[in-house]
Amino acid sequence: MPITILPPKSSRPIPSRRADPEDVPSDSDSDTSSQAGGADLDGDIPMITTANKSSPKYDSNTGIVTPGELITSDPQWMRGHGTYIPLGTKDITSSVAGTITRTNKLISVRPLRARYTPEVGDLVVGRIVEVQAKRWRVDVGSTQLASLPLSAINLPGGILRKRTETDELQIRTFFAEGDLLVAEVQQLFQDGGASLHTRSLKYGKLRNGVFVAVTGMGGGGGVVRSRRQVWTMDAANGAGQIDVVLGVNGYVWISKHVETPAEVENKTMGITNMEENVSATMYSSQNDPIDSDTMREIVRLRGVVTALVENSLRVDEDMVVRGYQEAVEMALLSSKGPEDVYLGGERGQQLAAALTGV
Amino acid sequence: MPLDTSTYSLGLLRVDGRRWNELRRIHAQIRTQAAADGSSYLEMGHTKVMCVVTGPTEPGPRRGGNVGSAGGAGAASGGQHKDAEVLVNIVIAGFSSVDRKRRGKGDKRTLEMQSTVANALAASLHIHLFPHSQITISLHVLSQDGSLLAALINAATLACVDAGIPMTDYVAACTAGSTSTYAANDESADPLLDLNHQEEQELPGLTVATLGETDRVAVLVCESRVQVSRLEGMLAVGVDGCKQVREILDRVVREKGRKMIQEGTVERGTGLNDMDVD
Repeated sequence: MPITILPPKSSRPIPSRRADPEDVPSDSDSDTSSQAGGADLDGDIPMITTANKSSPKYDSNTGIVTPGELITSDPQWMRGHGTYIPLGTKDITSSVAGTITRTNKLISVRPLRARYTPEVGDLVVGRIVEVQAKRWRVDVGSTQLASLPLSAINLPGGILRKRTETDELQIRTFFAEGDLLVAEVQQLFQDGGASLHTRSLKYGKLRNGVFVAVTGMGGGGGVVRSRRQVWTMDAANGAGQIDVVLGVNGYVWISKHVETPAEVENKTMGITNMEENVSATMYSSQNDPIDSDTMREIVRLRGVVTALVENSLRVDEDMVVRGYQEAVEMALLSSKGPEDVYLGGERGQQLAAALTGV
Repeated sequence: MPLDTSTYSLGLLRVDGRRWNELRRIHAQIRTQAAADGSSYLEMGHTKVMCVVTGPTEPGPRRGGNVGSAGGAGAASGGQHKDAEVLVNIVIAGFSSVDRKRRGKGDKRTLEMQSTVANALAASLHIHLFPHSQITISLHVLSQDGSLLAALINAATLACVDAGIPMTDYVAACTAGSTSTYAANDESADPLLDLNHQEEQELPGLTVATLGETDRVAVLVCESRVQVSRLEGMLAVGVDGCKQVREILDRVVREKGRKMIQEGTVERGTGLNDMDVD
């Protein structure tokens, strides 16, 4: 008995090429002549059913380009990040998968996702990985470690204090390996490295809280550069105030709000000599006592941030504050009451739906 | 597409029912691991590979191990490189093939594949943009059914695209073989595309990878004896297969990007057509 192969049932209808009369010319280039290079077998029929190659791959609906795709060969444009010009040509070609952005005559491609690239003035949260003679090396989620020179921090005892060799010897009393800090990018180096500074009362060592790492810039949800990235908010359910620091690099710090001595004095003394009152406690690694209500609300805020990321929403002040209010209400409705801080899975989706549905 | 048995002799079909120039089913996903910088999962037939990319990052303390590396001016270990270094680590699961073979860390075949993948990607990635850093590519083989090296290269390329590392173009790979053995010395042997395990065992074959849509060959590995007269045909079929593979990989990336834009995670880009206006 001869073997017969039944045609498989295709899930989608096989496009009939002859249906469209305009399609006939393009059909001709996908016949057997395109299979040069291999031994031609008699009676072979074309199997490559890919769309005709003449159609532009560039999808103007989405504006997505992929590596190796020609963006333009018009010489009026300048090449920015995410693009390159192949040797011997003048074509601007994409080198990452992402969306095209145009600034005047500059064409750059913003990747769908990439590591954080520091820019001067960015607020970042980082972790000390290495202590060197006169500087610290800080992980900020970038392609390289950032450096924090000893000269770029506020030393206890006022801004005008002279830096001595004793400070260099005692460098670990300020920051040691594993410490978290909030800082600002002060300077960029040629090779993509960055140097940080903490010369403001807003910056410095972090304690009394919890650290969350979310994907950084470039899509997939994450922290976006915005007007305000550090704020203090009133927590619900009898907890005190909570500080939130959203580092541009995708590192987030949520902690109990502690009034610094400077703030206390500020109320009585005024702003004049605030800078000089950098207290010795600012480099302390000891947590203050935190009551369980505050701890619970810190955990809830952390849940909000991770839920935003999981549902690929942007993380900024507005979203976090609204998300937190929504989460508090959701907890009240649940059977466990305010103790219910779980915001993963379905509950996270519910939260995201409530935030985007408005 | 249904097989038309009237015009195609069944004797010409391969063991798995493919024709000479057909690829196996390629299924790929990117961003499979949320915590990684870049990740991918790729199936070429029954060869299944998972890839995770970390970096570019500052090189940590060197854990002395057997990893293939490429790039980096002056390959002195632990030294400061002008370019990023590409490190590849391949783990072949014990359950991946039919016979449970123990492959130690120093397995020569694995080491060679590591350095092949590392060199191929280092040539395409723009490593000069990331001085003093390293890009670590971890590949895990879950299932083997031929064309392993090709699958590894394709998975690594996808994961690097996902990680947003700038590159010249995709490095797409596939295998090509010949219909009769070396010993048969058959002048009229025809080339085959995308060998599976059984064909790889019996027939001569080579792995070829090309850079993007061009005919530029990035990797060419031939581990079996074959008459030089057959090589040209095999190479041509292989290069043609690579172009098909690139098309498939590109579609995966585009699909993911389109989805991200629809969901609003990424802002819509400027259309190219808008540019021509002014």
